[in-house]
Amino acid sequence: MPDLSAPSISYAGLAPVLIVLGAACIGVLVEAFAPRHLRWNAQVALALFGTVGALVAVILVAGSNELTAARAVAVDGTALFIEGTIAALGALSILMFAERALDPAKSAFVASAALPVGSSSDRKLSAAPYSQTEVFPLASFAIGGMMLFAASNNLLVMFVALEVLSLPLYLICGMARRRRLLSQESAVKYFLLGSFASAFFLYGLALIYGYSGTVDLGEIREAAARSGSSDALFIIGLALLIVGLLFKAGIAPFHAWTPDVYQGAPTPVTALMAACTKVAAFGAILRLLYVGFGTSEWTWRPLIYSIAIVSMVVGAIIGITQTDVKRMLAYSSIAHAGFILTGVIALGDAATAGRGLSSTLFYLLTYGLTTVGGFAVVTLVRDGDGEATHLSKWAGLASRSPLTAATMTLFLLALAGLPLTSGFTGKFAVFRAAIEDGAWPLVVVALLTSAIAAFFYLRLVVLMYFSPPADDGPTVGVPGLPTTIVLAVTAAATVILGLAPGAVLDLAEQAAVLVG
Amino acid sequence: MTDFPFLLVLLLLPLIAGLGLLAVPKHRHDLIRRITLGVSLLVLVLTVLMTVAFEPSGPRFQFVQSYEWIPDFGVSFSLGVDGIALVMILLIGVLVPAVIGASWNEGTDAGGKTGKTGSMRTFFAWLLVLEALLIGVFAATDIFLFYVFFEAMLVPMYFLIGSFGGPRRQYAAVKFFLYSLVGGLIMLAAVIGLYVVSANEIGQGTFAFDALRQISIDPDLQKLLFLGFFIAFAIKAPLVPFHTWLPDAGAEAPIGGAVLLVGVLDKVGTFGFLRYCLPLFPDASRAFAPAILVLAVLGILYGALLAMGQTDMKRLVAYTSIAHFGFIALGVFAFTTQAGTGAVLYMVNHGISTGALFLIVGILISRGKSRTIGDYGGVSSVTPLLAGAFLLAGLSSLALPGTNSFVSEFLVLLGSFGPYPVFSILATVGIILAALYILLMYQRTMHGPIKPSARGFKDLNKRELAYLSPLLALIIVLGVYPKPLLDIITPAVNATMADVGADQSSAQAENGGGD
Amino acid sequence: METQYVPASGLLGSAWLLVLIPLLGAAVLLLGGRRLDRVGHLIGCATILVDFVLGVALVAALAGRPEGEKAVTDTLFSFIPVGELQVDIGLLLDPLSAVFVLLITGVGALIHVYSIGYMAHDPARRRFFAYMNLFVAAMLLLVLGNGYVTLYIGWEGVGLASYLLIAFWYRRPAAATAAKKAFIMNRVGDVGLVLAIFIMFATLGSTSFADVFAGASGLAAGTVTAIGLLLLLGACGKSGQVPLQAWLPDAMEGPTPVSALIHAATMVTAGVYLIARSAPLFDLSETARTVVTIVGLVTLLYGAIVGCAYDDIKKVLAYSTVSQIGYMFLAAGLGPAGYAVAILHLLTHGFFKAGLFLGAGSVMHGMNDEVDMRKFGGLGSKMRITYITFALGYLALIGFPFLSGYFSKDLIIEVAFDSGGTLGWILGGGAMLAAGLTAFYMTRLMVMTFLGRPRWDSDADPHESPAVMTVPMIVLSVGSVFAGFLLVNVFPLADWLEPVFGPEPEADHVVAPIVVSILTTLVVALGIVAAWFFVARREVPVRPPANVSPVIKAARANLYGDAFNESVFMRPGQWLTRAMVYVDNRGVDGAVNGLAAGLGGTSGRLRRTQTGFVRSYALSMLGGALVVVVAFLAVRFV
Repeated sequence: MPDLSAPSISYAGLAPVLIVLGAACIGVLVEAFAPRHLRWNAQVALALFGTVGALVAVILVAGSNELTAARAVAVDGTALFIEGTIAALGALSILMFAERALDPAKSAFVASAALPVGSSSDRKLSAAPYSQTEVFPLASFAIGGMMLFAASNNLLVMFVALEVLSLPLYLICGMARRRRLLSQESAVKYFLLGSFASAFFLYGLALIYGYSGTVDLGEIREAAARSGSSDALFIIGLALLIVGLLFKAGIAPFHAWTPDVYQGAPTPVTALMAACTKVAAFGAILRLLYVGFGTSEWTWRPLIYSIAIVSMVVGAIIGITQTDVKRMLAYSSIAHAGFILTGVIALGDAATAGRGLSSTLFYLLTYGLTTVGGFAVVTLVRDGDGEATHLSKWAGLASRSPLTAATMTLFLLALAGLPLTSGFTGKFAVFRAAIEDGAWPLVVVALLTSAIAAFFYLRLVVLMYFSPPADDGPTVGVPGLPTTIVLAVTAAATVILGLAPGAVLDLAEQAAVLVG
Repeated sequence: MTDFPFLLVLLLLPLIAGLGLLAVPKHRHDLIRRITLGVSLLVLVLTVLMTVAFEPSGPRFQFVQSYEWIPDFGVSFSLGVDGIALVMILLIGVLVPAVIGASWNEGTDAGGKTGKTGSMRTFFAWLLVLEALLIGVFAATDIFLFYVFFEAMLVPMYFLIGSFGGPRRQYAAVKFFLYSLVGGLIMLAAVIGLYVVSANEIGQGTFAFDALRQISIDPDLQKLLFLGFFIAFAIKAPLVPFHTWLPDAGAEAPIGGAVLLVGVLDKVGTFGFLRYCLPLFPDASRAFAPAILVLAVLGILYGALLAMGQTDMKRLVAYTSIAHFGFIALGVFAFTTQAGTGAVLYMVNHGISTGALFLIVGILISRGKSRTIGDYGGVSSVTPLLAGAFLLAGLSSLALPGTNSFVSEFLVLLGSFGPYPVFSILATVGIILAALYILLMYQRTMHGPIKPSARGFKDLNKRELAYLSPLLALIIVLGVYPKPLLDIITPAVNATMADVGADQSSAQAENGGGD
Repeated sequence: METQYVPASGLLGSAWLLVLIPLLGAAVLLLGGRRLDRVGHLIGCATILVDFVLGVALVAALAGRPEGEKAVTDTLFSFIPVGELQVDIGLLLDPLSAVFVLLITGVGALIHVYSIGYMAHDPARRRFFAYMNLFVAAMLLLVLGNGYVTLYIGWEGVGLASYLLIAFWYRRPAAATAAKKAFIMNRVGDVGLVLAIFIMFATLGSTSFADVFAGASGLAAGTVTAIGLLLLLGACGKSGQVPLQAWLPDAMEGPTPVSALIHAATMVTAGVYLIARSAPLFDLSETARTVVTIVGLVTLLYGAIVGCAYDDIKKVLAYSTVSQIGYMFLAAGLGPAGYAVAILHLLTHGFFKAGLFLGAGSVMHGMNDEVDMRKFGGLGSKMRITYITFALGYLALIGFPFLSGYFSKDLIIEVAFDSGGTLGWILGGGAMLAAGLTAFYMTRLMVMTFLGRPRWDSDADPHESPAVMTVPMIVLSVGSVFAGFLLVNVFPLADWLEPVFGPEPEADHVVAPIVVSILTTLVVALGIVAAWFFVARREVPVRPPANVSPVIKAARANLYGDAFNESVFMRPGQWLTRAMVYVDNRGVDGAVNGLAAGLGGTSGRLRRTQTGFVRSYALSMLGGALVVVVAFLAVRFV
């Protein structure tokens, strides 16, 4: 009978997560007790405090490499870098949540989610100047969950984190003020498929426990090392765990939900998912593969290798024929997931230790920033019923609003990986790591697919610049302060990380540590 | 050799000016023109001064500057020119003012039925940015930096074609961009590969050309890396069969854009052969040379035949360029000093004469509002000056002795005759075809009874004379006295040939050919 | 060859002025613009006259030099210095080039003067004189160049001038086309010339006459032959020899003074100059020389036969030129024995053919540019000076005893026989036969133009031309009468040229010269009689009779020379071009666009997997998961 002495907990190391979750909890209380006219501002302030606070905390504890809470949570370079990234991107997403200038009804979120769509009261409220401020605490919970997800050194904790990040997302996906049916449909889809994926993860977890008798990644690794990891239980378990994570990261062939959900969800939420969820999922994948199953690399390496190719190809090719900006960006995210995987497989051996890891971290950061920026631009282009996401509506945008078009072009060129943008630096980093690791065929495929992907990014540029404006064209909303900040930050980052990425690359280099 | 940072200034001046233009109010057309022209003339002056300051007998790379850029990638911001890069930058300096003169009213017809979307301000802004990037791509001595410019210069050209081009400009712009991007990305793989090799060879990885030139690479790996670079450059140049983007881009681009596209931007490909393929992968270069020469000769004859078959003047000129690029490639891969020097001189001369040809065709089109040859006829009886200029540029394009192109073509053919008599002879047949396509176009447009539609044509006005005459003068001057350029080019070519380990006497192989 | 090239000094150092003066003339006239219209022709003539004077002075100075130093070179500047290739622009004044300088500037000056009158009514007269000056400059560079590259520059320069002048009346599609044809066919020849230059550099490392001739003896026989044949190709292009003869008759679309200067007296003889200049090479290759003689023989017969059938006075003269240059090639091909003779005929021909063309021009001038001889007749009475001068030229051409043609042509026939062997008989016989044909077509021309009853168009009012035109004709006719005699007996050309071609070998005569000239004269007489019999005896129909023998039909179609070119080169070429365009659009570009379309199609098909139904998504996930698991197990246990 083991004594139940409480494990030692490094609160400093956990501070980032705790701050966000704390802010979320307070948010719930605010929701419960604060009068409606105060809520909005209070919630925004809280959520921002949470994310920004987390970021600050990350910076403060940077450099520590330890396992805390009974080895359940890792506080190492990688974890902190990813937490920081999530916090930063989260903060930006929250700002987009808080935008009130664009939608005539002051918010992108529904006034009362519970009302059936199209009911008289729903129609009455459709223009109501208030909305469900729950989205802020929910988002905070999700963000907190993501940070924990990427930091957990323990499969159970990882699973809990997975649910903590998923459930709020399911909810807020359905809270779009415009096109509510689409929004609710996406929520349901995401929920069903998400639960399905969680089931896989949980099942895998069980098998691994059955095999190794532990859920601690470090111990799993040792167990695998001992028994040569040739046990069917072990193999299948690992496979199912990976499936669960690939789903969250939106990697083909587990990407099916991405386009529909990205399209249906309120754009700020899409941004949150596309940026933060992906970062978190990759954080978890890195940890799982290298901490938990590092010794059995040759089991999963070929698979990740081929999955990377599948994801790049599927994303790039299907992206060509998309006609909706958000769906297009969804497929772009699928392709990019593939590119990131080329970095993931390139963590390599002692010789080039860490380079794959650092480049992956850097890529995640740049990709997240650019994506958030891209979706932020999407929120600006609107017509009668909300955002005008159909490509045809973007024709001749440059002549109507040069700045918007230019900003979008910047993000698109970055996604296409053109030099002097962050996208190129990131691609270069991961591809270099991959080639150093001998995976040059994978890189060649990656390059060809990015050429294909470039086609649909260019298509949007062609529409915006080279096509005469459509007569029933959309109006380009004048963003309020929050979105302006988001655009400024992301655009600046995209340029700076393209021109002078040195500092951040160093940071990633130092952060490339996995303990456990 | 002075220590004035010529290259850095040449790079930043147009770049900053280009971005600065955006601060000028859209409608201040004259101000915008004057600024742009002023800047380009300043650049011209600087390039001339730099050429004067250059010491042909001095070190291979001069005006060298190097700054740390991305240490994590082993990348440095290094500039420097050898004779080859120098003359190309000089060419840029000469062409851009002419292009500005030719684009004087570009962007004033935005909107309306042309459907064009760009304003004059954006046109000139992109133009200056393009000039900066072009200078950069030739001045870079760090392969990563070169690659950055190589890719970045697509963007301004893409917008110049897409926003200011002809009816099928969207198709042409995207085609141009994707073609080049595919090549560029393949090259990126090779660039990274080269870096990794260098990391294994000399401890830590580098992109510095001079360092990479000295490492020895396993022949099989060389072949792979060579192909990576070669395909990118072959698309850019373009060599048959990678050429089909050029006729579309050349035909749809606004005249100014077309001049810089064919005159300079494409030369980056042939420049790349000389600067990167040969010195970095000598074994692979020698191994692939025969195959590439086949492509080159094929391009000469094929391009000429296609040029004859065109009904669109701009497409015709574009196809003639494909033939000319065949000559350049022939010169590069013949591995003799004469052929190599001829190839480099060819790059310059082709820029001047084809540039002039494009500008003149553009003027003709501005009169007749049509690109179809058949819509013209007997024009020279109303516009003698235009006709004269057209003929002179045409004669240069068919390499008549006394014009600049003769010297370069002669050198290429003569230099390649020693080692590769058969290829040289086949290429020489190309000069007949060249005469055919030029004179056919000239006769159909300028000779014969005058078409009623052409009666009202105005002859060259002062502005057109102003920007044409320098180029036409250069055609004669460089045709009569090319020595100064040759003296600058030859040492650099010799160094390259030494890198590739070409047998220098092969230029004069004993009883090569003949018997 | 014992003659050394010595650096120019003193007056001889100013040879470059010969080229520069007319070049400046051309530049001034072209750039001067309309303000020079009224004086353009005067400037144009002045430059050439000055050149002529300078030329005479230079030749005198050259003549004054001691034996063995009668060849001065003057390197002007370094043209293409790359590695071991060192091409200089330089001049060489030796007896051979001296002769040409006099011919070009002398005849050139006369024709320039003539043109003042001939082009008086042409609004573009200034442009005409500019082009003429350009031609003289280029032609002088051609003959004065001290290396093959310099020669080539002049070679192409005269080609350009010829192009510009043939197309001078460019509004006439025929003129424009003829000009293009001339340029292209010359280019074909040029390929030969440049390839020869390449071989010289590849084997000798230099392209200057001095080095090439010095090293020639060390070359492999095959190499020399190759060079010789390639040079011959170039010569054929420039001199309108079979198989590249077709452009020369068409070139008559140009103004008549052009035909006289460029397409009779000077440019078209450049081929002969090239071969004579390259004597040290040809001396080394029996084969090359033989081919030259054969080309010459074929051409001179071809020209003579076709000349009999045409009714266009200028075309007849043009084919006569083709044929006469054939004589020169034939002679040049006979080596040391023939070079000097070839040059002799070149000079005499320069006089009388130029004279004949000017005469023809004068006729056209009086008959408002009519060229169809069937519409002439009886003009002798209307324009006496033209008639007499033309008649003298005619007699000179057919080789009437003791006129210039007689000396030069008989010598050629003689040397042809002397070359010995069967070939000798063939060459001699052919040459003699051609002499008869020449007499026939020229007599026919004379009769149809100046004798018989008038067949003029109603509006025609023939009149004599102004003095500015007739004086040059008179001067030239004097030349056509005496040139031959002077150059053989008074100032023997052969001796003058000896420093270039070496001493003439003592010919052992197969047939005694006297016999040759008697026979030739008889054949000529026969030709005249025949012409009289066929043409003068009966009325000349204004419409060419349709029912004629196939021979005449063939001759009228210039023995199907053009037909051959069209069906063998032009049409297949056009077809090939069209085919290539198709290949490029459908094939090469099609492949690229096809690839793009393919990707799009795949995308469209894959897109359908995105049904929007959760069930199918779930299924896809399940499938994916299964694949992953199976793959893992496979990797592990297989």
